[in-house]
Amino acid sequence: MGILGLSKLLADLAPQAIKEGEIKHYFGRKVAIDASMCLYQFLIAVRNETGQLTSVDGETTSHLLGTFYRTIRLIENGIKPVYVFDGKPPDLKSAELNKRQERREEAQKALDKATELGDVTEIDRFNRRLVKVTRNHADEAKQLLTLMGVPYVEAPCEAEAQCAAMVKAGLVYATATEDMDALTFGSNILLRHLTFSEARKMPVQEIHLDKVLQGLELDQGAFVDLCILLGCDYTESIRGIGPKRAIELIKKHKSIDEVLKNIDANKYPAPQEWNYEGARRLFYDPEVMEATNIELKWNDPDEEGMVKFLCGDKQFNEERVRNGVKKLLKSRGSSVQGRLDGFFTVLSTTPAKRKADDKKQTPNKKKKGNAGGGRGRGRPK
Amino acid sequence: MFEARLVASATFKKILDAVKDLLTEASFDCSESGIQLQAMDNSHISLVSLMLRSDGFDKYRCDRSLTMGMNLANMAKIFKCANNDDTVTIKAQDDADVVTFMFEAKKQEKISDYEMKLMNLDQEHLGIPETDFSCVIRMPSTEFARICRDLSQFGESIVISCTKEGVKFSSGGDIGTANVKLAQTNNFDKEEECVTIEMQEPVTLTFACQYLNSFTKATPLAAQVQLSMSDNVPLVVEYQIPDLGHLRFYLAPKIEEDEN
Repeated sequence: MGILGLSKLLADLAPQAIKEGEIKHYFGRKVAIDASMCLYQFLIAVRNETGQLTSVDGETTSHLLGTFYRTIRLIENGIKPVYVFDGKPPDLKSAELNKRQERREEAQKALDKATELGDVTEIDRFNRRLVKVTRNHADEAKQLLTLMGVPYVEAPCEAEAQCAAMVKAGLVYATATEDMDALTFGSNILLRHLTFSEARKMPVQEIHLDKVLQGLELDQGAFVDLCILLGCDYTESIRGIGPKRAIELIKKHKSIDEVLKNIDANKYPAPQEWNYEGARRLFYDPEVMEATNIELKWNDPDEEGMVKFLCGDKQFNEERVRNGVKKLLKSRGSSVQGRLDGFFTVLSTTPAKRKADDKKQTPNKKKKGNAGGGRGRGRPK
Repeated sequence: MFEARLVASATFKKILDAVKDLLTEASFDCSESGIQLQAMDNSHISLVSLMLRSDGFDKYRCDRSLTMGMNLANMAKIFKCANNDDTVTIKAQDDADVVTFMFEAKKQEKISDYEMKLMNLDQEHLGIPETDFSCVIRMPSTEFARICRDLSQFGESIVISCTKEGVKFSSGGDIGTANVKLAQTNNFDKEEECVTIEMQEPVTLTFACQYLNSFTKATPLAAQVQLSMSDNVPLVVEYQIPDLGHLRFYLAPKIEEDEN
């Protein structure tokens, strides 16, 4: 599940790296979306009173409903989404996956108990914890995306890594996921909350890797090590070292190797056979498909195909599906608003002045002052 | 120390009215030559460029260049407190975090002071290349505002096409289509009512109504507006503020989707 505590650390130490905006500011942008993360969100969030939405046979359709409506919303806002699906998990992730499996079993037990007792809220709670994106979910989503004319990419390994590679190659503008991993893999721009429901009114968070590095005063190598220290999916971290210690140590020693040489091994024992080098390699050189081999093509939606696929067994309302298709067609038909970015060159960025003052403030005050998107203090109340 | 005094505070009101749809906050760069503002809207579709020359002010003093980040809605609130015929003086200390607006009534029997906190904005300065435009159209600003307003009822975008014969604005949508043609005027008696076209080669470009309509909020600033267009570059809509400077808007055109 990404990097432990990284988003909070960034909010504290590199607030200028995080910008908040509205979804409509991303029109005309190609965005790589972490599909597994999305499907998981949909399975959890798209529910009615009795639980997940299902087809006549009792098969879940929440992921399809989510994919259908949220994709339409993105396209209506002029965004060109590309979904990236996970391939096989990397070997290093097996420990993390085992842990998740254990937690799932626990949840299952708790669920059985709650069912016995007939506690509805508890049943719902544990039901959500049991949610898992299966191959079948992913395949159905892919089928739907094809019918909608939206491209998808099957990553050989981790989807975030593939997204990052596509951002680096300039194929897409940003990676949209909730996992902060994407930054560790080297996505220059990470968008969070992009696929959230409109009803939640969550602003889209845009995180820039270069500003993160600037704010933390680290280079990418040290940043990767920092993420491993904070806790990633691929290896353990040192017990007793939280975000604050981690950033201090990395700033001082620049790498985990140096950190290990310099900390008290008795007080902070490193995990046995700690494979941080493996994790580091994974972040640096993940298994991805070459961006040059990826061709992204947005096609016209196949209306009849969608109606056939979604209505009938899957119990979608035909009228709504057809309406959705109309929206897709409309967004495709109209010409796209250009941006000024391409025409003008950025000469200089006014550095946030009065930086020196910021440092003088107490940490507490600083947090407060920067809460509003990091635009700094002095914002009229 | 920065101090700028302008007898016609109404000009500031008009400028704020014209830009506050597009920008919520902006940095005013003050230097010896004058006050400058350059900022893109959030979605990077349009850019506002304001230049107020120091010699246009009734009194102008700027010892050290400074940048003042201001919230435009709050600034507009302050200027609402001023009467149209008040004189305004803008004051700030070097490295200050507040700016003071002082309004003096005409007969000097009333003086009001408003202090506003400055903001710490980091903004990008853009280099705008000098372009030789294929078409430069000058027309009465009210006419332009009227056309934009009328045509935006029909569709989301307006096509502006400029040829030797004249300039055509068109728009279309579910209810039908709309076309407005303007030819060059031959009557040069009233300069303010003239339509003039300087054309190297014909241009046709499409723009979003929403933005054009925002730009026309600047109509009270000038009797004439100048539209400059070239293929595949942003449109420039310029209002000359008499004796003081100019307010320019840049707008990225809409582009036909390429097939990939």
